[in-house]
Amino acid sequence: MTATAPAAVRAGTSADAILGVAPKEVFSPATIEEAAAVLEEKAHASASVGFVGGGTALGLGRPPRRLDAVLRTEHLTRIVEHAPSDQIIVVEAGITLAELQRAVGAHRQRLALDPPLPERRTIGGLLATNGFGARRTRYGSLRDLIIGVSLVRADGVPAKGGGKVVKNVAGFDLPKMMVGSLGTLGLVATVTFRLHPLPDSDITLVARARTARGVRELASAMRGAQLEPAAVAALLQGERFDVAIRFEGFPAGVAEQRDRLRQLVGQEPGSACDILSEAEARALWERHDALRTAGPLRAKLAFLPAALEALAEGPLANLMGALGEPSFVLYPTLGLGFVAGLPKDAALVAQAVESVRGSLAGTGGSLVLEEAPHDVRAHADPWGPPPASFELMRALKARLDPEGRLNPGRFVGGI
Amino acid sequence: MENGTRASVSAAPDATVSRSVVARMAALVGARNCISDPSELGTYESDGLTSFRVTPGLVVLPASTEEVVAVVKLARENGLALVARGAGTGLSGGALPVSGCVVVALTRMKRILEVDLENGFLRVQPGVANLDVSKHLGPAGYYYAPDPSSQSVCTIGGNVSENSGGAHCLKYGFTANHVLGARVVLGDGAVVDLGGPVLDGPGYDLTGVLVGGEGMLGIVTEVILRMLRKPQATRTFFATFPSTDEAGNAVSRIIASGVVPAAIEMMDRLAMQAAVAATGLDWPDVGASLLMDVDGPLAEVEHTSRHSVELARAAGALEIRIPKDENERALMWKGRKSAFAAVGRISPNYIVQDGVIPRSAIAEVLHEIAELSKKAGLRVANVFHAGDGNLHPLVLYDARVPGQEKAAEELGGAILRLCLRLGGSITGEHGVGAEKVAYMGEMFGEADLETMHRVRCAFDPARRLNPGKVFPTPRLCGDLPGPYVPHPSELSGEATRG
Repeated sequence: MTATAPAAVRAGTSADAILGVAPKEVFSPATIEEAAAVLEEKAHASASVGFVGGGTALGLGRPPRRLDAVLRTEHLTRIVEHAPSDQIIVVEAGITLAELQRAVGAHRQRLALDPPLPERRTIGGLLATNGFGARRTRYGSLRDLIIGVSLVRADGVPAKGGGKVVKNVAGFDLPKMMVGSLGTLGLVATVTFRLHPLPDSDITLVARARTARGVRELASAMRGAQLEPAAVAALLQGERFDVAIRFEGFPAGVAEQRDRLRQLVGQEPGSACDILSEAEARALWERHDALRTAGPLRAKLAFLPAALEALAEGPLANLMGALGEPSFVLYPTLGLGFVAGLPKDAALVAQAVESVRGSLAGTGGSLVLEEAPHDVRAHADPWGPPPASFELMRALKARLDPEGRLNPGRFVGGI
Repeated sequence: MENGTRASVSAAPDATVSRSVVARMAALVGARNCISDPSELGTYESDGLTSFRVTPGLVVLPASTEEVVAVVKLARENGLALVARGAGTGLSGGALPVSGCVVVALTRMKRILEVDLENGFLRVQPGVANLDVSKHLGPAGYYYAPDPSSQSVCTIGGNVSENSGGAHCLKYGFTANHVLGARVVLGDGAVVDLGGPVLDGPGYDLTGVLVGGEGMLGIVTEVILRMLRKPQATRTFFATFPSTDEAGNAVSRIIASGVVPAAIEMMDRLAMQAAVAATGLDWPDVGASLLMDVDGPLAEVEHTSRHSVELARAAGALEIRIPKDENERALMWKGRKSAFAAVGRISPNYIVQDGVIPRSAIAEVLHEIAELSKKAGLRVANVFHAGDGNLHPLVLYDARVPGQEKAAEELGGAILRLCLRLGGSITGEHGVGAEKVAYMGEMFGEADLETMHRVRCAFDPARRLNPGKVFPTPRLCGDLPGPYVPHPSELSGEATRG
């Protein structure tokens, strides 16, 4: 570490604050070695450290208990390796998703991950928050795409897990361990992904004006018909949902699935399924992305797909009733959704949040506040009750960050 | 699968478990499910890697999570190590006992507890055979994707521990991608539920950490699996080539064209000869073959299979065979899946190796393996999952010839080092187990291993579960430093520590 140049550093300001807590110092290392040196130094000083990538998910979690330093990954943006014929890429954590996609797109490949704000969101930030978009329907989430990770531990020691090949079971799965860990186990330094070919053809259809039950039944009918959409997302439009269905692949397969879907929907009385033009499709997915980043309160819901109606018509309706300009983006095949809006009354909203959590608890569902105004936070924990395996999570944290210096207190249950 | 004539690595004299512990274990699981007779313990002294053998102190076959808990607690009181075991088909010695340990065989826990078609998951006990899951789901039009070659026997619990793969994981992923949650008994007897059927539970992805933990993190007593809807259509073809060069080239062209095959398997001449000897298939005696599946919506697979056949021809295929019905297709796959065991027909002994290379290096690697094989004076049959670069070289030898066994092991090791040199892995799906601990230090640095060991310590600080696997040198966990134990008021968010 001694040969490494010191990382650029400046004093922290309120603009660097994480959930209202401003750091004393902000480091912007130019290399991973510099980043490791910063963490080593902070270990010696028993200082707490938070990590910031694109800064798009800084509303997630509880305010850190302490925040001596912030380490920004803005200069760790290199593509370490892209092997097009092996369909893998190794990147530093600070690269944005959009930049990664441009690099691999030149080889007609992509990372099959499409969260909103790709121009701003970094790979490290996405990994820390388990970010995803509508294509999760078909391609899974980050845990299904990551094949290797290198991290810098709390003590400044670099370590890696996984590898550069898609198939690999050597050693414990550190890559999956890092997914969604919100900077509490170490700094994500580099990430290795498997890539997918870019599809030749892509089409979006919309089945309009469906109830929650209608959304669930459509998802179920598509599964029954062995259709394999790349994405299914339902957007609440007034009282009803517009269900966007995207097919990707070779033109013949896309066209055939398009026709079969229309047939399927056409069999229901009064239902229509429109084929969108390219411009209309772009606009629709842009609207999807906008709703996914809406605020000032935004809650992520996870539930059993079959429980959709009970949820949507019960406690969730109360929550949405407590929000001005409520929006709801739903992934019916995944059992995930995002509700956003403007809280009318913080206490009422918090009460509704708890009642949704109560209704989900029995099946292991959850509601996490991704963004929430201060007054709502005063009444409701952003994470909700810790999971059954919380003691084990604490043990894992304690082994990787024994002094509790990385993003202390921000994660689930105060980890 | 091996003939088991390689020397036993059991070094320590076999320890015994005291009679009183045996009696108490028998009381917990029932006398007939508690095996302590030395003649019967032999069945459990190895898994599929039969060259590694250690006699356990005791074998118990619990019937429930509660019984596993009781067994673990009793073992803990008496300072005994625990080794969980499924069907024992593993090929890396992942279920190798340690001397005097308690083997917890989960084969009696083979109930399918819950099937939820609408929510796409099922809950099973660990002793359920992999293929039985798909058989159970089949009539409803669903299946379970991971398909290791031993799938008719190997258990879900074992699959979870080793993160098993199979021929079809190129498109569908490995066990880790299909396990949503698990109930585990930790080394101290605590029962913990990780994950669950609902996605994205807040907190760390402990399920992701557990899968592939090689039985060192917990004893799995229930598993929640994701089921998949069967694809509308599957198209298969079998192509022969003059050599592995053309076959490797065909794989590269197909992948580069944007096709994601459900499976694409390569066999070289020797592997094909073995398969023919074992199954009587009428495969020609040529340099290499590919067996490929595409699946999905009908029009899509019609296109991708036709296109892939064209690419195989352009790459120099001698002959393309398309099965005329499901029977013929099943036969082709039988030939492929029986290749390991089939090698037993053409050689008295063999070692199954499992390494991974970047897919694009296939042809180069096969040449190097041929060189190594020539130098060692031993034949190597190559069977592999070409789409993801997962090689299964089968090193053939005759244990009766002095020195051949050692030469075979060295050749296997040289192949693994070749994989590492090209940026690959020492194991794609068999696990590190006891077999490859020595290679872990070549693939990973000390800090990497130490970090993985910290994960183990979080789950099993007493290191009671499946000792001696994965890590090249024994490591202690050490005590946790004191400060990080948040006060309950902190946990509830009422207080902070400044």
